[in-house]
Amino acid sequence: MRKRRSVLAIALALAAGASLVACGGSGGSGGKQSVTMWIYPVIADDTKHHAFWNDTVKAFQTQNPNIDVKVEIFPWANRDQALATAIAGNKGPDVVYLIPDQLPKYVNNIQPVAQYLDSATKSDYYPNVTKSVTLDGKMLGAPILTSVQALMCDKKVFDAVGQTTYPSTWQDLLAMAPKFKAKGYDVTQYAGDLSNTLNLTFYPLLWQAGGDVFSSDGKSVAFDSDAGRSALDFAKQLVDGGYVDKTMLTAQPPIEQTRVAQNKVACVWNLAPQDVTKFWGAENIKILPPLKDAKQVQYGTVGSLVMLKGAKDKTAAGKWISYATSDTVMKDFDTKSSFFSPRKSTGSLYASDPVLGELEKYVGLTTVGPIQPKARDVMGVLAPEIQAALLGKKSSDQALRAAAKSAQPLLG
Amino acid sequence: MANVSDDWAGSRRGTRRAEPDRPQQRRARRVNWREARSGLLFVLPCFLLFVVFRFGPAIAGGVLAFTDYAIGGEAHWKGLANFRRLVDDPTFWSALRVTVIYTVLAVPLTMAVALGMALLVRRSFRGTKLLRSIFFLPVVTSLVLAGVIFTWVFSANGPWSSLMRLLGLPHGSWIADSRLVIPALVLVSVWSRFGYGMLILLARLQDIPTELEEAALTDGAGPVQRFRHIVLPHLRPALFFVAVIETTVSFQVFDTVYVMTSGGPVRASYTLVFALYDQGFHYFDLGYASAIGLALFVMTLIVALIQRSTLGRQQ
Repeated sequence: MRKRRSVLAIALALAAGASLVACGGSGGSGGKQSVTMWIYPVIADDTKHHAFWNDTVKAFQTQNPNIDVKVEIFPWANRDQALATAIAGNKGPDVVYLIPDQLPKYVNNIQPVAQYLDSATKSDYYPNVTKSVTLDGKMLGAPILTSVQALMCDKKVFDAVGQTTYPSTWQDLLAMAPKFKAKGYDVTQYAGDLSNTLNLTFYPLLWQAGGDVFSSDGKSVAFDSDAGRSALDFAKQLVDGGYVDKTMLTAQPPIEQTRVAQNKVACVWNLAPQDVTKFWGAENIKILPPLKDAKQVQYGTVGSLVMLKGAKDKTAAGKWISYATSDTVMKDFDTKSSFFSPRKSTGSLYASDPVLGELEKYVGLTTVGPIQPKARDVMGVLAPEIQAALLGKKSSDQALRAAAKSAQPLLG
Repeated sequence: MANVSDDWAGSRRGTRRAEPDRPQQRRARRVNWREARSGLLFVLPCFLLFVVFRFGPAIAGGVLAFTDYAIGGEAHWKGLANFRRLVDDPTFWSALRVTVIYTVLAVPLTMAVALGMALLVRRSFRGTKLLRSIFFLPVVTSLVLAGVIFTWVFSANGPWSSLMRLLGLPHGSWIADSRLVIPALVLVSVWSRFGYGMLILLARLQDIPTELEEAALTDGAGPVQRFRHIVLPHLRPALFFVAVIETTVSFQVFDTVYVMTSGGPVRASYTLVFALYDQGFHYFDLGYASAIGLALFVMTLIVALIQRSTLGRQQ
């Protein structure tokens, strides 16, 4: 009996201890508040990225000594799976970096951020930037960067082929393709593997053809249209003519193993200058406006810091978001990551840079893509059909019709 | 008329009642209970882990299949809506077809290779142990690692394509060809799984009394007859076990598909578990993903029962 009592006493003591620990928990020790932020390798160099946030946190803490900020940098791969399972397990961060097409999926978990930003900041964002982070009238994220995917050509390849002009339309690209093929070069690259997002591959062509993924009310898909067929026919012409590397239609090797890295591809629209600089050399990167068909448009994203509803201390998280997206911090972050500012007042960040300065000019020609709750699901049924068409298993019409048939039930 | 069994039961009960508990028996029962209790205590951690990480999630998954739960959202009861969606979903049927084709190819091939290898290393000779270890090595190799290596092996410039070229057969990347991607994945599966089957079959092979085979040999039975009339009947329970395990594993193929093909090209390797993963972790539709999981469970169970009623009927 005595033994049982002593066991009970130990158990009670442990329980009491645990509850005391729990009581002292959430806000951090010594009355300090804490904020955890998850971000991804936006600055590609890991050391520089860590150094940036270490310095930023230090500077923030001089103004807010009672707020501890922990920035965790996760890999891009499988980031949604990691974030979604963390949120489901109540282990999610307080603040996280998201892009517009992720927002509808997390909308139930996001704390609108407008109240934590001052009105001068909010009115300083480009209108399309604000629109891309706003859902049902609520501003879900504080923009920190924008990106541009314009047309990027390898001057070395053009010199080797003896091609002195650069393409500005689909027809230009198709017209010069045989010349490149004859000399053993690809005129472009189409990354058709299913692991790729269509935002960087097929959608830009669809938009350039004057089409869109969804109807304007978002209740039906709109890619099964003349514009859709035109875009897919164009991509098929590139593939069927042998003007692109066909292995890229079904595989996604590291860039080092692609013909882009071997200086065998003339122009691409799915990569950024920082991806190719070490292979092409900065002096050989020629930035051009997006290709034009019916329209001249390209994909560009908006990176924003988003507060999750599970944030332990929303005021502290709000202060951190406001600071991390403030004019000075954001400018520093954007230049270090080679991205662009979402604010009007910033002006040019790269006036003296021939590559990024040129790219910066096309910020206004970008779109963030469909912001629709089922956008990724629809991409999931469209991508294999596009691949089937490019591999010659279906016509453009059959592929788009089949994708539309599979996509429609997803939209209810 | 009281029948014999009633009499027997009655007499048993009567005897039991009439028999007084002796202190020795009571002590023995106490010892038995103590042993049983300590046994249960040893099993308890494993049992708890099983309940928390296997049984609990399985039950939760079964319940979620009837809801519209999406990560971070609320779960609403939807009855059979997810199953009706399954029936109308061409992607589900395509994934089921791919999974069945994969299983039909992978299971017999894996079992045949496992049996062949088990027969090969059945007798002791110089280097048998090393050979057995080498054959078993793929089982303990990470499938992700294997997937990365086989992606290269089956690539257009990989050794498999070179071998095909040497043999005058169609070459190129098998994983980029929608007709060859499943055979490529099946070969990876055979490579990674045959060692496990081999181990089970080998254990059973070594239990076959040598006198039986010696007697058959004396009677003039050839190797095929000995295999058919002595080895195979003895192996039946082990073969049944391997068949059930391999079928279950094949129905659940995911890792190699994820690493090597992402379900492509053109959904030619888009299996049921890959569909489940896509729905759950790409589209966050856990209700629908759970419905796929439940359908997969039912199908695997039915196949295992059919196997039991055919292969395992003599056990």
